[in-house]
Amino acid sequence: MKKHTDEQKRELQKQVETWKSKYMRALADYQNLEKRTFAEKEETRRFAVQIFLERLLPVLDTLEQVHKHTNDQGLSLALKELNVLLSEYNVEKMKTAGTKFNPHVMECIEVVTGEDDVVIKEILAGYKMHGKVLRAAKVKVGRKQ
Amino acid sequence: MSKIIGIDLGTTNSCVSVMEGGAPKVIYSAEGRNVIPSVVDPVKNIVGDVAKHQMVLNPKSTVFSVKRLMGRKYSDKSVQGDIKWLPYAIKAGKSDMAVIEVEGRQFTPQEISAKILSKIKADAEHYLGGTVKQAVITVPAYFDDSQRQATKQAGEIAGLEVMRIINEPTAAALAYGLEKKNAHTIAVYDLGGGTFDISILELGEGVYEVKATNGDTHLGGDDFDKVIVDYIADEFKKEHAIDLRKDAQALQRLRDAAEKAKIELSSSVQAELNLPFITQGKDGPLHLVMKLSRAKLESIVDDLIKRTIEPVKKCLADAKIKTSDVNEIIMVGGMTRMPKVIETMKSFFGKDLNRSVNPDEVVAVGAAVQAGVLAGDVKDVVLLDVTPLTLGVETLGGVSTPLIARNTTIPTTKSEIFSTAADNQTSVEINVLQGERPMAGDNKSLGRFVLSGIPAAPRGVPQVEVSFDIDASGILNVSAKDKASGKESKITITGSTGLSKDEVEKMQKEAEAHAAEDLDRKEKIEVRNKADNIIYVAEKTLKDAGSKANDEDKKAVEEKIKALKDILESGTKEDLEAKTSELSDAVQKVGASMYSQGQTPPAEEPKAEEKKDEKKVEEGEVVS
Repeated sequence: MKKHTDEQKRELQKQVETWKSKYMRALADYQNLEKRTFAEKEETRRFAVQIFLERLLPVLDTLEQVHKHTNDQGLSLALKELNVLLSEYNVEKMKTAGTKFNPHVMECIEVVTGEDDVVIKEILAGYKMHGKVLRAAKVKVGRKQ
Repeated sequence: MSKIIGIDLGTTNSCVSVMEGGAPKVIYSAEGRNVIPSVVDPVKNIVGDVAKHQMVLNPKSTVFSVKRLMGRKYSDKSVQGDIKWLPYAIKAGKSDMAVIEVEGRQFTPQEISAKILSKIKADAEHYLGGTVKQAVITVPAYFDDSQRQATKQAGEIAGLEVMRIINEPTAAALAYGLEKKNAHTIAVYDLGGGTFDISILELGEGVYEVKATNGDTHLGGDDFDKVIVDYIADEFKKEHAIDLRKDAQALQRLRDAAEKAKIELSSSVQAELNLPFITQGKDGPLHLVMKLSRAKLESIVDDLIKRTIEPVKKCLADAKIKTSDVNEIIMVGGMTRMPKVIETMKSFFGKDLNRSVNPDEVVAVGAAVQAGVLAGDVKDVVLLDVTPLTLGVETLGGVSTPLIARNTTIPTTKSEIFSTAADNQTSVEINVLQGERPMAGDNKSLGRFVLSGIPAAPRGVPQVEVSFDIDASGILNVSAKDKASGKESKITITGSTGLSKDEVEKMQKEAEAHAAEDLDRKEKIEVRNKADNIIYVAEKTLKDAGSKANDEDKKAVEEKIKALKDILESGTKEDLEAKTSELSDAVQKVGASMYSQGQTPPAEEPKAEEKKDEKKVEEGEVVS
C-alpha cells in the first residue's frame, strides 16, 4: 500500500512541476510580449510614415523624370518643397553615382564598362529614413572589360 | 530553456517562426521582411536581400537555389541539368558530392545553407532577446536520406541543434491543426518561387505520413512573372517597335510593374500599368500605359497553371486514391494567392481549400508548431476561452457599466471602485449584467446581491470595490467589499460563458442595431446624473456658506437650482447641459467668495468618471 501512495505522490509531484513550468512559461511569454509591444510601439511611432513614403517614392521618381525632360520652373520649385518636407521627416536621398558599389544600400541591375565596382549610373534613387534603408537604389555598376 | 525556432529553408526564400503564448509568430528579418531570400555570397559573407542586390554584378559568386544541390552527387541528373543554367561554378567534391566553387574556394551546399541559417538564427535572437540553440527545419517530402542529412548538417554548422527534420507538406498540415480535425487524407499544393510540389498525406496514429509526391522542379512564381513581362514587352514592341527587354533599366521597371500588377489582379479585376519615360524613341521619350484585366492575365498564365494539373493527377494515382478521397487541401506558396489557381484547384478537388494561413509563411508556422510540441509548450494545446459578451454592473440611472469587455481571454480578474448614490446610504445592490447595450434594462441580469453595513457617509464618499473574477471553467465570481468596514458580500454565477454561438451573435447584432439610440439614451442619463450632482453640491454650498455668501450670489444660485430641478426629468440633453453649466458657474461664484473669506466650500464631485450604484436600500435581497 505504501509503495502505491509513493507512486501517486511522485505522479502528482510531476504534474505540479509540469503546471508550474507551463505557468512560468506563459508568464514569461506575456512579459516578453509586453516588452516587445512597447518596443514595437516606439518603432511604429518612428516609422509610421514609412509605408506611405514607400508608396510615394515611385510618384516622386516620375515627377523627377518629368522635370528632367521638361525643365519646368514650377515643377522644379514644387520638387524643392517636397524634398524639404522629406528631410523634415529624416528622409534622405542617397548619393550613389561615382561611389563604390554597396549592396547594403544599392541593387545592381546592369554591369557596364567602367571602373571596377564603381557606380557608373544611378537608375533609381535610393532613400534612407532615420538612417535605415527605405528603398535601395538601383544602379549600373562598372567592370573593366 | 531557450525557444526552439521553426525554419522553412526554401529554394528561393526562407522563413522562420516561433511559438509565443501558444500561437506561432513569424519572425521578421533585420531588413523588416517576413521572408529572407535564400541567396548567399560566401566569400563576402553576405546573405539575403543584400546578397540579391549584387547578383547581377557578381553572378559567379552569388549562390542561389542551393537547395537544388543539397545532398546530391555531382553526377546526379538533376545537378547536371542545373549546371547548364546556374551562373556559378559547380564541381565534384569529396565522394563525388556536388560542391560550389567561388573564387577558387570550394563550399559544400551545407556550408552555403548554413550561412542562411546563421542569419535566421541571428535575426531570431535579436527578436527574442536571447540565444537560440535549437531548431526544427523543413525539407521537401521527396528528400532522401542524404539530402535530409545535409540539411541537418547545415543547421549544425550554423550552431543550431536540429531537433527534427520534418516534411514541408506535414508542416503545412500542422499549421492548420488538421491532425486535430482527424482529416485522414490531405493534399498539399505548393506553388513557390521556383518549384511546384504536390503531396498526398495520410493520417496514421496521430502523425501524417507521405503517401505520394510529384511536381515540377522548374515551375514557380518566377515563371509567371516572366510570361507577364513578355506579354507587356511584346505589346509595347507591336506599338513602338522597341523591345524593352534589351534595356536593363526598362526591363527592371517592367518586372517591378508586372509583379505589382499580378498582385493587384488578385484582388481587382483590372490593373493599370503606368511607366512614364520608359525608353527613348526616335521622336522623344516614350511612355508605357497599359490596362491589364484579370481575364487577360489568366489567359497569359493559363498554360502554366495547367502544367500543375498533370503532376497532381499522377500523385493521386501513385497514392491510389480518387479526388473525392481527399479530405482537406492546403495551399502553400505565394502564387496560390492567384484567384485562377484557387479556382482551378477548387474545381479539381470539388471542395473548399485551406488558405487562411499566409501561404508564404505556412510551412514555417507548421515547423514552429512542431518546435513547440518538442519544447513541451504545446503538449496538449491549451486553448483559452474568451468571454463572448461584456460583463458589468448596473449604475446610477439604469446604466450598464462594463467591467470585463467581450472577447477578453479568461481566466481573468477585474476590479473597480464604486460608491453610494445618496447620503447615508448603507447598502448597495450589485446587479451583474451581461450584454453590449449601454442600458442595464436591455442586458441580461445574471444575478444580484447586496452589500450592507456600509458606514453612513455623504454620497460618493464610501469606497466599494467590486471585483469580477472568471476562472478557466467560465465560472464568474463577483464580490463587493467596503474598504472602510472591510465588509464583503459575494455571488457565484455559473454558465456566464455558456451561451450558444447564435445567442451571442443575436445579442451583438441587437447592440449594433440600437447603437445610435442607445448612445443617445446613455448620454442623456449621464447629463441628468451630472445635473443631479450639481444640484446636490449647490444646495450643500448654500448651506455651508450661510451668511458668508452675499445675497445676490445666493439668490442667483437658488434660481438656477430651481430652473434645473424643473427640467431634470423632462428636459432635453442640451437644456440640461446648459442649465448645469449655468448653475455650476453660479456656485463657483459663491465658492470663490467663501475662499476670500477663509472658508472651504464643499468639493464639486469629479466629473464624468464617477460611477454610482443605484440607490436601493432594500435589505437582504436574496442572492441566487
